[in-house]
Parts: sequence; C-alpha cells; structure tokens
Amino acid sequence: MIAIETVNLCAYYGQKKVINNVNLKIPKNVVFAIMGPSGCGKSTLLRSFNRLLELNPNARVEGDVKLYGKSVYDMSPIEVRRKIGMVFQHPNPFPHMSIFDNVALGLKLNGLVKSKKELHKTVKWALRKAALWDEVKDRIHEPASALSGGQQQRLCIARTLAVKPEVLLMDEPTASLDPVAMEKIEDLINKLREEYTIVIVTHSSAQAARVSDYVAFLYLGELVEVGKTEKVFEKPKSELTKRYLMGRVG
Amino acid sequence: MQKVDTFRISLLPFCILIFSIFALMIVTYLAVSVPIFQKEGPQIYTTNIWKAAENNPDEEFYGVLAAIYGSVYTSVLAVLIALPLSIGFAVFVIDYAPQKIKEPLIVTTDIMAGLPTIIYGIWGAFVLVPMLRDYVMYPLHKHLGFIPLFSFEPAGGYSFLAAGVLLGVMVTPFASSIIREAYRMVPFTYREAAFSLGATRYEATKILLSYIKPAIIAGILLAFGRAIGETVAVSLVVGNAFNIHPSLFAPGYTISSLIANQFGNAFIYGYMVSALFAAGFFLFIIGLAVNIGSLIILKRWYSHAQRF
Ligand SMILES: Nc1ncnc2c1ncn2[C@@H]1O[C@H](COP(=O)(O)OP(=O)(O)OP(=O)(O)O)[C@@H](O)[C@H]1O
Ligand SMILES: [Mg+2]
Repeated sequence: MIAIETVNLCAYYGQKKVINNVNLKIPKNVVFAIMGPSGCGKSTLLRSFNRLLELNPNARVEGDVKLYGKSVYDMSPIEVRRKIGMVFQHPNPFPHMSIFDNVALGLKLNGLVKSKKELHKTVKWALRKAALWDEVKDRIHEPASALSGGQQQRLCIARTLAVKPEVLLMDEPTASLDPVAMEKIEDLINKLREEYTIVIVTHSSAQAARVSDYVAFLYLGELVEVGKTEKVFEKPKSELTKRYLMGRVG
Repeated sequence: MQKVDTFRISLLPFCILIFSIFALMIVTYLAVSVPIFQKEGPQIYTTNIWKAAENNPDEEFYGVLAAIYGSVYTSVLAVLIALPLSIGFAVFVIDYAPQKIKEPLIVTTDIMAGLPTIIYGIWGAFVLVPMLRDYVMYPLHKHLGFIPLFSFEPAGGYSFLAAGVLLGVMVTPFASSIIREAYRMVPFTYREAAFSLGATRYEATKILLSYIKPAIIAGILLAFGRAIGETVAVSLVVGNAFNIHPSLFAPGYTISSLIANQFGNAFIYGYMVSALFAAGFFLFIIGLAVNIGSLIILKRWYSHAQRF
C-alpha cells in the first residue's frame, strides 16, 4: 500500500524551480528517508506533502501529491495537515504555553476530544508515545520553554501524535540536538515505525542508514535514486549517489 | 593612552541639559503644588468642588476628582475601542494586505499617529460629535435610557463618549504600530507549527496573537498613557463640565482639558495655580507609571522573543 505518492511534482519559489519533476512512492508503515546536500530541496519537498508550502506566498507547486491515492489538492489543507503531521528542524513548541497546552492544542483545534477527561487522557497518551511522559509528568503545567532542546523536540512529536496523523513528516529532527538527544529521537522513530508512515529528511547519510527502510537521494531538486536502504547503501545505481555516500558531494 | 573623543565630550552638555530640565520640572511641580496640599491635603484629589473666590483666598476650594474621573473614563473607553481596531489592523497589514499596499498602509498609519492632535479635535467637534449624537446617543437614550450608561439626555453631544471615541481613533494607529511590529517578529516556525496542526487561519492568528500578548498589553498601556495625556482634541469634545456621572452621554472634564481651560485666568486666584499643578502632578505620575510599566513588559518580551 502506498501512503504518499508524488506525480511529476515541481516546486518553485518565484521563478526559481527548486523541485524538478519528482515521482516518489512512499509505502505505508515504513521509515522513508530523504537525504541530500544542503539546499537541494528536501524541506521544500516535505512541505509540499502537507501543503505547508502554501504559507509562503511566493511558493508554487505543479504536479500532484496523493495521500492513499487521493490528491491532497482535493482535500482541505486543514484535513491534509491533520492527517500528515510535521516535526521541524528546530524544536518549536509554543514557548508561552505549558507542556500540557502544547499537546492539547491540536486536539482542541480539531475538536478531537469531547471531554476534559478525554483531553487529559489523550495528552498523557501522546506524551507517553513520544517517550517524554516520565520526564515531565510532575510539571506538565510549566512552560514548554523550560525543557531542554531534546525534550522540546519530543514534545513537538507528542504534539503532532496527539492529533492522530497517519503520516509523520520530520524535517531534520535531530539537526539542532546533541548526540544523546539525537539517539533518543532515533529510538523513538524506531518505536513509531510500526504504526506510522514516517518521512524523515536528513543531511546525514549515517542517520538515513540507521533509521530508514527506504531512502531517496535528492540532488539539486531532482530525484537521483530511490530504493531499499540497504540496497542503496550497498550498491548505489547512480555515480552521484555513490559519491555522496562517500562524502564527496555536499 | 586612549585618544580623547572630543565629539563625544561635546555632546555631554546636551545630555546633562535635558536631564536637568527634566529634574527641574519635577521639582517645580512639587514645589508649586505644596500650598494646595498644605491647605486641603488629599482632598484636592478626592472631592469634586471648584470654588474660586476672587478676593478671599481662604474661601477658595479645589477638588479635581471629576477631572480624574473623566480622564480615566475617557481613556478606558479609548482603549476599549482601540484594542480590537489596532489588533485587527495589525493582523490585516501583516497577513492579508497585498505586498503592494503594505508599505503605503504602514506609512499612512505612522503619519496618522504623528498628526497634530488639534486636527483630530476639530474633526471631532464638527463631524464626530453631531454624528454620534444623532445616530448613536439619541437612539440609545430613547430606547435603552433606563440603563445607567445611556441615562443622560445627550444635549449637545459633547460627552465622555465623544471624547472616548475620538481618543480611540487617535491612539489606534499608535497602538497598532506597536502590535504590528511585534506580530511581524513572530518567528515563521511558530506559524508553520500552528498550521501544521490543522489550524485554520483564524485559529493560527489567535495562537500567534497569544504569543505576542505581552506586546499587546504594552501597546495598549502606552495608548492609555497617550489618551490620558491628550489635551486639545479632548477639550473640544468632552463638554468641560465638573461632572461625575456614569452615563456615556454626560459631559465631563479631563485633567488635561481642565488645566488647559483654567490656566488662563488661574493667576487671579490665590490657590488655583497650585491646584492645577497638583492635578498635573497626578497626570505626571500616571504617565510615568504607564510608560515605565509598558516599556518593561516590551523589553522583557523582546529579549525573550529574540532567543527563538
Ligand atoms: N522561502 C524561500 N524563498 C525563496 N527560496 C527559498 C525559500 N526557501 C528555500 N529556498 C531555496 O530553495 C532551495 C531548496 O531549499 P530547501 O530549504 O528545500 O533545501 P534543503 O534541502 O531543505 O536544505 P537544508 O539541508 O539546508 O535544510 C534552496 O536553493 C533555497 O535557497
Ligand atoms: Mg531543510
């Protein structure tokens, strides 16, 4: 089953084309890594999946993105974004809100819970799922800004999970974290892979090798290679991929 | 040895001059107010009496409570009007206005914020007051006159309401520019976070506004400070009557319009100058408190916001 499929996808900022004719199929319940050097369009590609690119008035998309066979352009952007959650490069919990409120926010926005009790239950569930509950259970009403960077990133994951998305987009979720915090997030991705389709952007091929089932290599906005992770790493078809994996590109 | 920066040193006297003028001003206010404090004590602020006796200073008695009441009443009204207007306008300019008219809009509001206030005052007296009187005050008084807010028969239209609305219009561009700058500074990543959770534009805006709440409070406080200090425009529309009345339609006084109106002939009397200085001193304290408070809030928020 294919969770996300792109069809002749192109993306522009003004006149500048940054995604060039990308055709991707992302199977359900896998960890799918998108790797490539800085500026190759990874973040742009990811944001076209949940139509977040539309926040930028200069951005324009051609082609199609399908979620379980249905074009995301035939759904409301709100529905798309609820079904395709996103975690960002820099942890961005709302600093003026408490830990609890950050997780509860999406639930309230989408009217996903009917009672206060259910709200508390779901927030707790999400924090557990994001492996954060034990660290914050005594202080969920403190501001989110009081947490460490790694904790903030897991809070963002909890915030996203609370809305019960089907697909999870992660844009370099460990890029601003220290190695210990990074390991925790990678462990978490390993746990979540059974229930979610995870698309993770990384500029580190080592990380792609560690966490992903499939990997796509993007270069200057074009899809150079895509396949099962071990295959791509063992025997890259493209010369460019080979050079990237050996650290000569990017 | 460090080279002496003569230019910098030459600027020093100006700096000293400014601060000495300011210090001198405070001293003057206190000194001139002393006689009325000695004569009446706190009653200058707690009574509503304006008794000027030309030949016998002992019979004079001044209590500026009505003016304090009017100042606070009209400024609160102004802020209540300016709050939704300025937030709405700030959000419109940043999120919705097409790129082409964004800058012209910003420049226009900044000009509006800096216009001489007499311009607002004349417009208020000739356009706003009759309009409010005929289309707002009379209908409300006729149908809902039993409510204390609307109970006063709006004779000329010169009233707390007229002053409040005029002040609201005047301080909106100012409050809006503070809120706008804060709203503009909200990091894009929070916008993305809000939308990525499935927020509508309205919901996302609400979330982002809650993030800049301290700046909104500061902007509104500063606007309050402006409104309470405004003189000319208000004295043209407030009615200038010693009146403590709950109704929006009643005429009243404000501290600054009281001073402006009475100062001309105050020197004839024994204590009136002193009473007016005491009233001014009160305004001075309010202005100081409001400005310092909002600057602290703003500064704290900006340094906090910059960490993200
Ligand atoms: N808001 C924008 N406006 C204009 N151009 C942009 C914008 N965002 C990105 N770009 C350009 O689009 C191209 C792709 O950017 P993108 O952020 O998708 O790359 P990336 O692979 O995520 O890079 P990184 O690894 O540095 O995050 C780059 O050349 C970048 O300069
Ligand atoms: Mg990126």
